[in-house]
Amino acid sequence: MSEHFRAFSFVDRITSAQPGASVTGVYTIPTGIDRFSNSLVAESLGQLAAWSAMAKIDFRFRPVAGIAGGVDFLSSVEPGQQLELAAQLEQSDEEAVRYGGTVTVGGQEILRLEDCLGPMVSMEDYDDPLAMRKRYDLICGEGAEPGVFEGIPDFPFTRIEDESVPGQSIAAAFTVPESALFFADHFPRNPVFPGTLLMDTKLRLAETLAMEIPPGGKDADWKVARITDVKIRDFTPPGEMLALRAKVDEKTETALTIRMETRKGGQRNSSAKIGFRSGE
Amino acid sequence: MSDQDISKEEIEAVFPKAAEIIADALGCDEDEVQLTSSLIDDLDAESIDFLDIVFRLEREFKVKIPRGKIVEDARGDLSEAEFEQGGIVTDAGRANLKSFLSEVPEDRFSNPMKSADIAKLFTTETFCKMVVRLQKEG
Repeated sequence: MSEHFRAFSFVDRITSAQPGASVTGVYTIPTGIDRFSNSLVAESLGQLAAWSAMAKIDFRFRPVAGIAGGVDFLSSVEPGQQLELAAQLEQSDEEAVRYGGTVTVGGQEILRLEDCLGPMVSMEDYDDPLAMRKRYDLICGEGAEPGVFEGIPDFPFTRIEDESVPGQSIAAAFTVPESALFFADHFPRNPVFPGTLLMDTKLRLAETLAMEIPPGGKDADWKVARITDVKIRDFTPPGEMLALRAKVDEKTETALTIRMETRKGGQRNSSAKIGFRSGE
Repeated sequence: MSDQDISKEEIEAVFPKAAEIIADALGCDEDEVQLTSSLIDDLDAESIDFLDIVFRLEREFKVKIPRGKIVEDARGDLSEAEFEQGGIVTDAGRANLKSFLSEVPEDRFSNPMKSADIAKLFTTETFCKMVVRLQKEG
C-alpha cells in the first residue's frame, strides 16, 4: 500500500476554509502509537495552513518548512485525542505562505504557532498536483481515513564527547535514515527529512543538555516552553550526515535558553532557540 | 522618491533596530552588521534570510514591503525590458541601479551584471533606506 497521504499526513478533515486566509480542521491521533510528539502537533498545524495556501494557487506550488518565529508548547497530547486545528494566513501567494495558529484538544490550547513562513516550491517537483487536489477535495468533504499513521521512532544522535562541555554545550552527529515510510509522503517525488523531525531531534539534544544544568537549585525539571527563531535553510535528503550543536545561550534560576544549530557538509542547515522553564 | 529625500539622520534612526533584526535573522553578532555590510557577501545571507529579514522589518516598523520592492524602485521609469535583457542588466538599468543604490560603492557594480546578482549589492543601509521610504509613503 502506498504511504502517500498515510505516513506523514496529519489533517483528517478541513472543517472550514477561506483559501489563503483562514482554515480550521481536525486530526485524530491514532490510538495504536506510542506517542505523538509536540513537533508533530506543530506539523499538523503547518500542514493545515499549507492546504489552504495550495488551494488558493490551484496546487501549482507547495510550501516547505522555512521559518517559525515562535512555537509555544503548552501541553502534550495523547494517542486517541483529536487535535482541533486553526490557522490564519497573513500572506499566501506563489512566493510564500505566512501564517500562525493554534491547536486545541477539547477546547484547551495545546500549541501556538506565530510568525511562520513557508517558501513555495514548484508542486511538480515534489508531488502530483492532481493527487494533491483530489486529497484536498477529500479532506474538505467526507474526510480522510483516520488512524493510518503508524508512528515514527526517535532517531538517535551520537554525542561527540571531546567537542562537548558538560553543562554548556553538546556536539553530536546525526545520520538521517536512508529509508523510512514517511519519505514516500514527504515528498513522493523528492524525499526529504521533515523539518519537524529535525526539530524533534534538536529538541531531544537540547533536553539532554538541559538535564546537565540544575534549575536554580530546586527539584523541578526543565520543561520546553517556547521555541523561537526556527529557520530551515536547506533540505536534508535521506542518508545525510548532520552535525548538531546545542549551546547554552542564557540562564536564570527559572529560565534557560539553548541555541541549536545543525550543519550539513560544514554549511549551516538549520537553527533554533529553545526556551525552557522550571518550577512551574 | 530620490535619495535627496532621505537624510542621514533618518537612516541612522532606523539603523539600530534594523541591525538588530539582521543580526537576529542571520545569527551573527550585532556589531558585525554595519551600514556598509553587504548582506550576502559580508554576512552570508541566503534567500530564506531575505524573506526572514523582510518579515521582521515589516513587523517592527509596521510597513508593508512588496516582493521585489528594491529592484522595482531602482528600475524607476524603465520598463522591465529596458532594465534587463536575457538575465543581464542593461546599461540603462545599471545606471538606474547606481543612482538608486547610492550607498553601494561604484566598484561593486560589475559589467556585465546578471540580474540574479543584484541582491549581492544590498547593504544594511539599503534596507534602512527602504524602511524610511515606506514609512514616508505611509
